[in-house]
Amino acid sequence: MMEDQEEKGNAENGIGRQKQVKDEYLLQFLDSLDGYLTLLDSLSSTLSQGWLELASARHAMGSSRINGALLDLKVHAAATSLKVSEQDVDSMESQPCFTLCKWASSDNGERSSGEEKSLSPQLRHRNNSQLSGIISSPVWPLPVLVLLKQDFSKQRQKSLSVFGVLVSPMLRSAQLSFERALETLVEIANLRSTMLSMFEQVHKELENTNG
Amino acid sequence: MAGRAQIPTKSSALIAMIADEDTVTGFLLAGVGNVDLRRKTNYLIVDSKTTVKAIEDAFKEFTTKEDIAIVLISQYVANMIRFLVDSYNKPIPAILEIPSKDHPYDPAHDSVLSRVKNLFSAESVASGRR
Repeated sequence: MMEDQEEKGNAENGIGRQKQVKDEYLLQFLDSLDGYLTLLDSLSSTLSQGWLELASARHAMGSSRINGALLDLKVHAAATSLKVSEQDVDSMESQPCFTLCKWASSDNGERSSGEEKSLSPQLRHRNNSQLSGIISSPVWPLPVLVLLKQDFSKQRQKSLSVFGVLVSPMLRSAQLSFERALETLVEIANLRSTMLSMFEQVHKELENTNG
Repeated sequence: MAGRAQIPTKSSALIAMIADEDTVTGFLLAGVGNVDLRRKTNYLIVDSKTTVKAIEDAFKEFTTKEDIAIVLISQYVANMIRFLVDSYNKPIPAILEIPSKDHPYDPAHDSVLSRVKNLFSAESVASGRR
């Protein structure tokens, strides 16, 4: 009699734990979905700001000085790139983790250590201004490395020089807005990976329940 | 889907773009522009003269290049090649649909969201409760 009750209790425990795991995946999935939509909303406003500043710069400098025909078509490496690493969700699943390396390339094509920002969902509420000047803190998943402001402004200036030496301050503002948009996009990419991974897990759990 | 494929780790990967002129110009200002030895760029500026074939080719090229980790595509451009965007399901490069100046972002058209919204279809919810 006692053994029967114990077995029944264990089975109930097992089902309860399974349900808890399923709920956890579902919550994580919904959380990432919410984050994805919120960040896309934020991206829309940042991009709108950038377009407005670009239009103001075009108005100030003239449309002949800011257009696609002036873009640099000489061989050059991207100054801002991404680092892709693999992040384990559990023993079965892994997902890509993107880290933004801002202004990490130098003139001769060699790579120097630029600002490296892992914009994971876990870090999305962190105020970016708090990060400047701080040298790597051991926060998961990757540290944040910050270059001297001088190196940054050199790289930024080089990117702006396509449109002339003396450029409108609005063009500099547009550059900063698009940099912010890029940071948001990397966050979105990380959330997208989490969302798809959690979706897979929830889907599997549902299939197991049905099967 | 996302987690099953092998994920190649890279120390320096590119962001590719298929978008309107102002969006591409803005991101180039942010330093993502790359021109390789064959003079191939990591972006395509889409205007009224750009053909769907050119967009398709650029999309196929960017999604098969190993040094690209994220492909940014304006949502209205993605709508022109929706069949290609929706059928793409590799984790890298990740395809991100972004708004453009004249076309605001519509979640209803996003390929990732339409993929996951099936989870909440009446059938899935009902079978989950059984």
